[in-house]
Amino acid sequence: MIANSVTRWSRRIGLAAAMAAAAVPSWAATDAQGGGGGGLPQLDATTYPTQIFWLIVSFILLYVIMSKVAIPRISDVLEERQERIEDDIETADRLRGEAEAVKAEYEKAVADARSEAHALVRKAMDEIAASHATAEAEAAKKTAETTKAAEARIAEQRTEALESLKSVASEAAAEATVKLTGIKVSDAKVGKAVEAAMQGGA
Amino acid sequence: MASPVEQFQIKTIGPELHVAGMDISFTNSALFMILATFVVGVFLTQSMSGRHLVPTRIQSLAELSYEFIANMVRENVGPEGRPYFPFIFSLFMFILVGNLLGMIPYSYTFTSQIIVTFAMAITIFVAITIVALIKHGFHFFTFFFPSGAPVYMAPLLIPIEILSYLSRPVSLSVRLFANMMAGHTMMKVFGGFVVALGVFGVAPLLVLVALTGFEILVAVLQAYVFTILTCIYLYDAIHLH
Repeated sequence: MIANSVTRWSRRIGLAAAMAAAAVPSWAATDAQGGGGGGLPQLDATTYPTQIFWLIVSFILLYVIMSKVAIPRISDVLEERQERIEDDIETADRLRGEAEAVKAEYEKAVADARSEAHALVRKAMDEIAASHATAEAEAAKKTAETTKAAEARIAEQRTEALESLKSVASEAAAEATVKLTGIKVSDAKVGKAVEAAMQGGA
Repeated sequence: MASPVEQFQIKTIGPELHVAGMDISFTNSALFMILATFVVGVFLTQSMSGRHLVPTRIQSLAELSYEFIANMVRENVGPEGRPYFPFIFSLFMFILVGNLLGMIPYSYTFTSQIIVTFAMAITIFVAITIVALIKHGFHFFTFFFPSGAPVYMAPLLIPIEILSYLSRPVSLSVRLFANMMAGHTMMKVFGGFVVALGVFGVAPLLVLVALTGFEILVAVLQAYVFTILTCIYLYDAIHLH
């Protein structure tokens, strides 16, 4: 890198000097009057003290301005900006978290409402079914009762009829026996015989 | 017609000043050094005076140059380079503005003065050597013998290493000085062609335009090179290879 640049500048100086010589044949004369012994003004050592002095003065001045004012000011602004950006990112993160929480809450509320509605519907259906069942059972019970009562009455009447039939038969049998045989048979015997006959006939 | 190197002439401005037998008169070179300091100072302080959260154009230029050098120091020197940052930033801005001010017609380029560049380079060289000596003591001298090299190579390697170390301020200063001087000489020569050729001067004028753009590039590049080499030398001083 160093060698490279050295060859580069020496080539450039050579080129420049050649061109200078071609273009301005009289430059040696003008140079002699102000060049401090000919050659490059940069090689005039009498100018060195003033240049070094003013270099030191201006560079120290610049260093003080830079380190006391400019650099703290720039780094302050940069830090401030960095902080601000971090703050903003933090706020954005927090807000996003909040939004997510709200969203979750909303979703939960929707789900709750849905399940509540579901439960209500189910409850109503259950109630309807229950009342339906009770009504049905009551109706069945009433029917059964009526049936039973009717059956009871039928049985009663039947027994009654049978009873009266028996007495009528016994009387008729006793009368018939007396007329046919002239033998008076006791009521008990007749009753027994009629019962036996009815049992066998039935 | 003026000589192409006449532009490098040091001219006294105002009364001559002599202190302890030395001539420290204010000159055109001194004027532009002070001017560079002033321009850098005003640029970096006034552009930041708004302290805008969203920077204005000029503020973002100042921030850009700050971060450019901050990154350069961080990458080339490491975290130990932090205390030297103000110096390196000042150095870069001083050379950069010095070079760029020199691109303004009729101005003076103090970086085309070998004594100026050499004074800066030798100061950096001495300061960096002192930093290395304080940090590493006598261990610093192992710097001149690359670790891992066979011992019998020492008589050859050590003089080469010492020579290359000592040539650092020379190469550092000559590179900047020669680039600036050669560029400005060339521009003056082409300027001379433009005047001498009359109507046909359009051709060298076009070259001159291109050359001006090129010289602005060189002005920035050389400030960068000077600064980054300072960073690399500082890295060597702190880490010893």
